[in-house]
Amino acid sequence: MAHSHAHDHDKVLESIVGKVVSQVESDLIAQIESSYIQSLERLRASKAGLVAEYNKIVENASKQAENLKRQMVESSRLAVRNRQLLLIEDAVSSAFSNAIAMLDSIRSDERYEAMMRRLIESTLDAIGMDAVLECSEKDRDMVDRIVLELQHKYNFSVEVGDSIPCLGGIKARSRDGSIILDNTLDSRIERLRPILKKDIARLLMVEVGR
Amino acid sequence: MVEVGVEYTRVSEIRGPLLIVEGVSRASFDELVEVETTDGIKRLGKVLEVGQGKAVIQVFEGTTGLSVKGTRARFLGKTMEVPVSQELLGRVFDGLGRPIDGLPEPIAEEFRDVNGAPINPERREYPRDFIQTGVSVIDGMLTLVRGQKLPIFSGSGMPHNVLAAQIARQATVVGSGEEFAVVFAAIGVQYSEAQYFKRSLEESGALRRSTLFLNLADDPAIERIITPRVALTVAEYLAFDLNMHVLVILTDMTNYAEALREISAAREEVPGRKGYPGYLYTDLATIYERAGRIKSVKGSITQMPILSMPADDITHPIPDLTGYITEGQIVLSRDLFRRDIYPPVGVLMSLSRLMKDGVGEGKTRADHMEVSNQLYDAYARAQEVRALSEIVGKAGLTGVDLKYLDFGDAFEQQFLKQAVDENRTLEETLRRAWDVLSTLPEGELTKIKEVHIKKHYRAKAG
Repeated sequence: MAHSHAHDHDKVLESIVGKVVSQVESDLIAQIESSYIQSLERLRASKAGLVAEYNKIVENASKQAENLKRQMVESSRLAVRNRQLLLIEDAVSSAFSNAIAMLDSIRSDERYEAMMRRLIESTLDAIGMDAVLECSEKDRDMVDRIVLELQHKYNFSVEVGDSIPCLGGIKARSRDGSIILDNTLDSRIERLRPILKKDIARLLMVEVGR
Repeated sequence: MVEVGVEYTRVSEIRGPLLIVEGVSRASFDELVEVETTDGIKRLGKVLEVGQGKAVIQVFEGTTGLSVKGTRARFLGKTMEVPVSQELLGRVFDGLGRPIDGLPEPIAEEFRDVNGAPINPERREYPRDFIQTGVSVIDGMLTLVRGQKLPIFSGSGMPHNVLAAQIARQATVVGSGEEFAVVFAAIGVQYSEAQYFKRSLEESGALRRSTLFLNLADDPAIERIITPRVALTVAEYLAFDLNMHVLVILTDMTNYAEALREISAAREEVPGRKGYPGYLYTDLATIYERAGRIKSVKGSITQMPILSMPADDITHPIPDLTGYITEGQIVLSRDLFRRDIYPPVGVLMSLSRLMKDGVGEGKTRADHMEVSNQLYDAYARAQEVRALSEIVGKAGLTGVDLKYLDFGDAFEQQFLKQAVDENRTLEETLRRAWDVLSTLPEGELTKIKEVHIKKHYRAKAG
C-alpha cells in the first residue's frame, strides 16, 4: 500500500516536472523566436543604416576625390603658368642684355650728340646751374664741347668732373653735393625697364608664335 | 620738362616714420620717393608735406637704420603705382606689391595709381545679386550681395580668418555658377594666419584665381598704409577692366588704423578719439568706398574688411566709424565662440543692409526675407527667455517660453553651427531654418505669410 502510494507520488511529481520542463521549453522557444525576430528586425534596420552610412562614405570619398582632383589640376596649371613666367623673364632679360650691348654703338649715331645736349640742358634745369657733370670717358670730349657752348650761351658755372663707367648720358650733382641727378642711359633704361618689359614680352611671344 | 629722379642728400631730421629733406624745390604732394641708405639699400616712401624748401617723407618700410648723414631721397615724379595684369592671379606679393613667391615682377598691362579713381556716383549700380557663401547664417540672415562692403567685426583669437577663408573658397553667384576672384590683403597679421589663408585657397584649388598681398606682423607698420590700396587697385583692374567678380578680404583693418595713428602722432597732428587722427573716418572711407558695381560693366568688387575690436569693444573708434561707411556688419560673439559654436556670428548685433534687395522671389526664394525676420525675432525672444530662466528657473517659465528656449538651442546647434568645410546650398539653409522654426507653435510665426507657413511649416510632436 505504502509502495503504491509512493509510486503515485512519483507519477504526480514526474507530471509536474514534465509540465514545468515543457513550460520552460515553450518559454525558451518563444524567447528564442522573439529574439530571432528582434535580431532580424535589428538586422533589417541596421542594414538601412549601414546602407545610408555606406552611401555617405562613398559620397564623402567622391567629394574628397573631386576636391583632390581639382586641387591637383589647379596646382599643375599654376605650376605650368609659373614656369612660363620664368621662361619669359629669362627671355626678356637676355633681350635686354643684347639691346644694351648694342647701345654701345650708339655714339656712331648722328642723333647722339643732340640727345646729349638735351640731357645736359634738362639736367642743369633740374639741379641748377652751379653743377659738376660726370660722364663716360668716351663722351668726355663731346660733353666738354657742349658745356663750353652752353656756358657761352647761358653764362653759368659748370665743371666736367671725373669719368664714370656707363653706357652714355650724364650724371650731375650740385657743387655742394646736396642734389644729384643720374641721367645716364643705364639709369634711364632701368627706369623704363618695367614699361619696356611688356613690349619685349609681346614681341617675343609673336616670334614664338611664328 | 620736369626731370624725374632728382636726388636730395640733405636730410635734416628723422622723426618716427618720417624723413625731412631740405633744399627740395620740385616735389609734389603724394609723390613717390626712393630712399637710399648709406649701404645702398632702397626703401620706398611718399611725400606728405612740401613747402619752404622742405619735404616731409613717409618711409613705408620704416626709418630704422637710416641716418641723417648719407641718406639720399630720390623723387620719382609720380605717385605710387602698381603693375596690373591678369597674371597677378595666383601670385603672392608683399605689402607694397613686390613679388615674394620667387617669381619675377609681373609683366604689366599698365601701371595704376594705388589711390584709385573714385567711382562716379552717377555710374554706380545698386548691388542686388545674391552671393551664396555656403554659410547658413550669412546666406539666410545676413545675405551678401555682389558689390557690397560687409565687414566682420571680431575680437582677438576668434575665427574671423577661418570664416573669411571659407567664404572666399565657397562664394558663388547662384545661377551663373561664376566663382569669385579673390584679392586677399593681410595687414599686420601673423605668419600662421597668412599661411592658413594661402593653404586654404591652395587646397580648394582657388589659389589660381587669387592674388595675395602679405604685410605680416613683423613687416614695417607704415607699409600697412599702402597694402589695402595696392590690393584694391588690383581688384579694380580685375573687376572693371577684365569683368571679373572680385571678393576683396582686408584683414586686419585695426592694424591699418594703428599705422595711421603712428604717422599722425609723428606729424604732431591734433589727436582725435583714442589718439586716432581726426580724419580716420575720411581715410577709412577712401578704402571702403572702393567697392561696388558700375553700370554697364559686368565685374564687381565685394569687400569684406575684417577688424578686431580692441577688448571686444564695438564702440571703439575703428568699428564705430567703419559701421558708418559699410553696408552692415557681421559681428562675432565671444560667448558663442566659448561655447564652441562655429561660425560664432552674433546675429542680433549683425546686419546686412543690402539684404532686402538681394533676396526674395526671382532672386532667392519667396519666403527668404520673412524667414530671416522670424528667425531674428524668435532668437531675440529666446535670449530674453534665457535671461529670465537664469533668474526664475525653468519652473517659472510658461509653456511657450520653454518652446523658445528649445528654439534658441536648435537655432544655434542646427542652423548657426556648421563645419568649416561645409558648403550649404540656400535650399539646405532655408530647410534648416524651417526645421528650427517648426519647434515653435505655428501661432508664434507672426512675421511669415500664411501661404509660406502652409508650405514649409512642419510642427514638431510634443
